[in-house]
Amino acid sequence: MPSGVKGDKGGKWSSDLVLDLYSNLLIEIWEVVSALIGEAILALLFNLSVQTLGEKYPFLISLKVSEEGISFEEMREDCRNIAPIEIHRGFQSLINHLSHLFSALAEGVINKELFPKVFPKVREAERIISQK
Amino acid sequence: MRLIFKNLNVLRSTLNAISMSFELKEIVESAGTNLPNLFDFSAFGVLWKEGLLLYLYQEESCPPSFTQEVVKNMARVFSILGEEAINVNRVTVQVEKRKLRPKHMMIDPKATLKSHLTLPLTIEEKIIGCISLNSDQPNAFDAQDLQFLSVIGYQMAASLKHFQRFSSIKNIAIYDTLTNLYNRRYFEERLEVEAQKSFFSDTSLSLVMVDIDHFKRVNDTFGHTEGDRVLCEIASLLKTSVRKKDTVARYGGEEFILILPEAGLEESSMISERIRRLVENTPFEVGQAQINLTVSLGISNFPSHQARTKEELIKMADLALYDAKRGGRNRVSIFMNPKEVER
Repeated sequence: MPSGVKGDKGGKWSSDLVLDLYSNLLIEIWEVVSALIGEAILALLFNLSVQTLGEKYPFLISLKVSEEGISFEEMREDCRNIAPIEIHRGFQSLINHLSHLFSALAEGVINKELFPKVFPKVREAERIISQK
Repeated sequence: MRLIFKNLNVLRSTLNAISMSFELKEIVESAGTNLPNLFDFSAFGVLWKEGLLLYLYQEESCPPSFTQEVVKNMARVFSILGEEAINVNRVTVQVEKRKLRPKHMMIDPKATLKSHLTLPLTIEEKIIGCISLNSDQPNAFDAQDLQFLSVIGYQMAASLKHFQRFSSIKNIAIYDTLTNLYNRRYFEERLEVEAQKSFFSDTSLSLVMVDIDHFKRVNDTFGHTEGDRVLCEIASLLKTSVRKKDTVARYGGEEFILILPEAGLEESSMISERIRRLVENTPFEVGQAQINLTVSLGISNFPSHQARTKEELIKMADLALYDAKRGGRNRVSIFMNPKEVER
């Protein structure tokens, strides 16, 4: 699975930090949920969410999701000039939207597996943003 | 551990049954028959986007209100998945009731939908429908149920994909790609069946061969694209002029052929004359111009013309068509001289 989580050679920016955090988080979501509903359906749900939120957070459109996994390569370039708070909000909306889809499909079954892993990382992202 | 093996075996035979099925209803039946061995559910639904069909395989004691709730919920989830909102009243629901529970566990007549698992059915990243397990019990499903349902959904989608491909290959094999009428090959197969039926039961069968008069002029004057458009329009006129049980096929070029089962000479003449007049009175748009066209038609009939084979019946219709052309076109001719047919 292409993760695309690589450090910036010229030193990390805050945007990079937030992006690293969320890319790890999305990969974790991918691993947990794909084991439950399969890669094909999960890729479809990711793309559906990106499509829905793309207008408000255009940088999300460069998130490439297929049955093989999530690729952040293109997004990393696109995020260079975006404020960390904007990246944080975009990803938070994406995760909320995914969580809404999961609960529409399977009520609490997916989110029950996901919440213990996802919530601490969302809080960590919020902490990084508030420190800036 | 033993339970997991048992479940995997049931899952395997469920997948096997689904993969052996070849159309939607059969796929749902195969899944429905096997699912009670895997899940404890009240209703299993498959919503098929094309034609808005919903198959429900459910416990026989499910009250109608519960069924309605399941239908509404599936439509709701399908809409959330980014598909257009579904008007529940437009969904055709087919319910298959089965005894899934022992008598003492029958569903309360006032039971409501308490839990569900719903997953989209996808083919090449397109949503073609969804499947859903539903229960009158709260929290009836867990992560393992979801895993099993997703594998079943995947197999169902794969089988449906084969079914779709098979249907499109079948379409290519029997339809004329330009006019969407049956092609000559299908016509010959159909005639074989109809001729055998008629020859054995001594019932009437008519063939009508139709040819567009001076069609070459249309192609030469307006080009082949416009000519093709005229062919399509005439094809649709032919389709609307015949009875439900008749077969209309493109025989080749600007020639069409009709199989009219149980039609005697009188009825086939009436249908042919109706077609002739309809074409004559229809203005055809070609390029910037509007033109009038006519057709010639030749009729052969069993038993009137004493054809002994289907080939003879075709030959007779062809000779009758030749007569219509020779007689000045824009007319219907009935085959007259059996001596003309080489035997």
